[in-house]
Amino acid sequence: MTVSSGTRAPSRAHDSRRVLIFLLLAPVLAFFIVFNTIPLLWLLGLSFHNFSLTGGVDPQFVGFRNYYQLWLGRNNFWGDLSRTFAFVGVGVTIQTVLGMALGLLFWGSKAMPGRRIALTLLFTPMVLTPVASGTFFRFIYDANFGVLNAIGRGLGFETIDYLGDPAFAFWAVLAVDIWMWTPFMIMMTLAALGSVPKAELEAAEIDRIPFWKRFSLVILHHGKFILMLGIVLRTIDSFKTLDLIIPMTKGGPGQQTRLVAVELNKQAFESFNMGFSSAYAVYLLLVSIAMTSIFIFVLNLRRQREG
Amino acid sequence: MNRFTTRTAGGLALPRRTILKGGAAMAATALGAPFINRLHAKEAHPLAGQTIEMNILGIAGWLPSSLGVQMSPIFADFAKETYGYDVRFGFAEAPFSDLFQKAATSLATRSQEFNIIISDSQWLGALAQPGWIVKLNDIIAANPALQVDWFSQTVVDTYMTYPDGSADRYGLPQEGDTIALFLRKDMLDDPAEQAAFQQKYGMKLPTTFEEYETLTMAEFEKVADHFNRPDQGVWGTAMQYSRVYDFVSCYLYPFMWSQGGQIWNPDNGEVVGILNSDINARAMEEMKGWLKYQPPGATNFGIAEQVDVFTQGKVFSCFQWAAVGLVMIPQEMRDKVMVVAPPKHGAGADAGRIYTMGGQPWVLNAFNDDPHMRVGVDFLKWWYQPETTIEFARRGGNPCDAATLNDANFDSINPWNRAYKYMLSEGRSRDFWHHPKYAEMLALQQEGFSAFMTGQNNDAKAVLDYIACGQQQILNDVGDAPTVPGMCYSTSL
Repeated sequence: MTVSSGTRAPSRAHDSRRVLIFLLLAPVLAFFIVFNTIPLLWLLGLSFHNFSLTGGVDPQFVGFRNYYQLWLGRNNFWGDLSRTFAFVGVGVTIQTVLGMALGLLFWGSKAMPGRRIALTLLFTPMVLTPVASGTFFRFIYDANFGVLNAIGRGLGFETIDYLGDPAFAFWAVLAVDIWMWTPFMIMMTLAALGSVPKAELEAAEIDRIPFWKRFSLVILHHGKFILMLGIVLRTIDSFKTLDLIIPMTKGGPGQQTRLVAVELNKQAFESFNMGFSSAYAVYLLLVSIAMTSIFIFVLNLRRQREG
Repeated sequence: MNRFTTRTAGGLALPRRTILKGGAAMAATALGAPFINRLHAKEAHPLAGQTIEMNILGIAGWLPSSLGVQMSPIFADFAKETYGYDVRFGFAEAPFSDLFQKAATSLATRSQEFNIIISDSQWLGALAQPGWIVKLNDIIAANPALQVDWFSQTVVDTYMTYPDGSADRYGLPQEGDTIALFLRKDMLDDPAEQAAFQQKYGMKLPTTFEEYETLTMAEFEKVADHFNRPDQGVWGTAMQYSRVYDFVSCYLYPFMWSQGGQIWNPDNGEVVGILNSDINARAMEEMKGWLKYQPPGATNFGIAEQVDVFTQGKVFSCFQWAAVGLVMIPQEMRDKVMVVAPPKHGAGADAGRIYTMGGQPWVLNAFNDDPHMRVGVDFLKWWYQPETTIEFARRGGNPCDAATLNDANFDSINPWNRAYKYMLSEGRSRDFWHHPKYAEMLALQQEGFSAFMTGQNNDAKAVLDYIACGQQQILNDVGDAPTVPGMCYSTSL
């Protein structure tokens, strides 16, 4: 009797603790289910249907037709995807390199007068809305009235149609993306540098270890997780770039700046082609999951090696 | 005594009985106002005495759309006097490229957020097919004020009819619009220019509306070439090549249609073999050829960019919508600009002139409740009254009714009126697809045409193959076209 009551008491306490945990988690879970799981399932279901919002008819089940058509390259799906990978790859790489370089520069110049103001100004592009930045740069790039061409003409160069020439448009848009998001990588670099123990850095300095070795063995060793987090966030965000492209080129000229998010937006919210765009979104979701998984895998791999 | 008086803010003492009497009189006035209004109103109206809030969705930055909005207070006065109700208007706007999205997302939720919508003509199918806008046949039949004698069948086909060729009416014209050619008259009238042109090309520089009426594009090319002076920062002309919305399509179609090209078979939905014809491929080459007479960046030109280069004196001429005449000809340029019919395409007896229709219809939200529907209909009846249409024209708008356009004074109201009326005549302008899949077909085609015009793909036929296959596939998906032929699987941009 004593034994049994002794076992029941902790079990009851354990049960009530579980109930409490569940109650505390319930609002978050409910939110997640209502705003994440259900829409995702809805999206999955819709992707197997032919449904246009303007068609005036109910959704028709078409099996994997939407997926199959995308796989065959309908609407130049693979072209858009490879262009997006180029945009993400080149953009995030330059942002990371530039961001780390500038971050190290600012980190090493704490006594520089006006450092705070310089940093604040440097972060400005990041806090502007991409639509405003895109509109702003569309005017800067304008062939007839844009300031960039005015300067170029003043220096004796030919007028360049930055956003209308297929040879320039992609790079012109990418340059704005780099301008906007390099500050984010500066911020992440500064955060990463802040996580490096001062004692180790001082020891490395006393031992007169060259900068490059200090950087790779001390700074990167401690700061890589924060930096990698920055790269992952930028990669995912860059993969979804839409609001910068729309005011600048709408994906043109031709399809030169048409990234997957631009086409998805067009299919879903301009053409109201809900079934096809759902399949498109599922493909992109899979690509995003794959990319994030690769980053996490690489991180874990290094951690395992170091462990 | 003091117990029965009340002191006002100004210090005047009034007997309480007087105040009570005054209050009662005011209450009676307020309660009786509807009945008094009804007595004053010219027509008995079920809404007399009520106040209705109406919302119009229009096109941002588009003058004719804003004219409709600006004139709505006149309707409010008219409604008060004629029907005895008060109406207040709210307005929402979105640019051309986003307006359909704004309207559709609201209508899809069966909302009456926008009671009256200024739609683009090509959206009629997409708005009518899901039942979002009112079929107007019964309303027109019941209201003689809406049985307007339109200037041409083109007006009915463009702004009112869905499906094409049927008797079903879903819209009524808000603003008529056609492409016109805006010219720098001051440059044309310069005797030195005329002499130089005569000497260089062996023909008279065309300077009058009548001379441009018979002009072909080949002849106009000489005029554009004559005034094309990049070293002086002036170019011969400007057209629209932008991939935004329908800009490049509307300007390429005249090259195709005028020379016998077609864009699809509306009877069976076939596009392959029709759009990707040799005539249309040549038309694309021709339009691209005109870039050499246009300022840098012309491949991005839309309506606003054209207005900029023309009003800032960077181009001698501009193929532009008549609807933006007011901004194309600011007051200081009033004597310097002439507006004529755009040239014919082709040569000799085969030369043709079929340009693209612009303009927008009014449509009524099908989810309007009864009072809003009644006010919407009243508003439309007022819009086509002779006084309203002439006022609309005076403010820079383009009415579509025969009475106003055939009025002897119409041509002189605005500099572009004569050209607009000329192009609105039967067979000179044409609208394209009112199909519900319009937006998707257009987006595909805009990309293709833009790719060709900018040099992303220099093979006109290959681009047309790609567009034709894509469009037929879109129509086939909804069962409105035959299966695409095998050649389509190898097309790309």
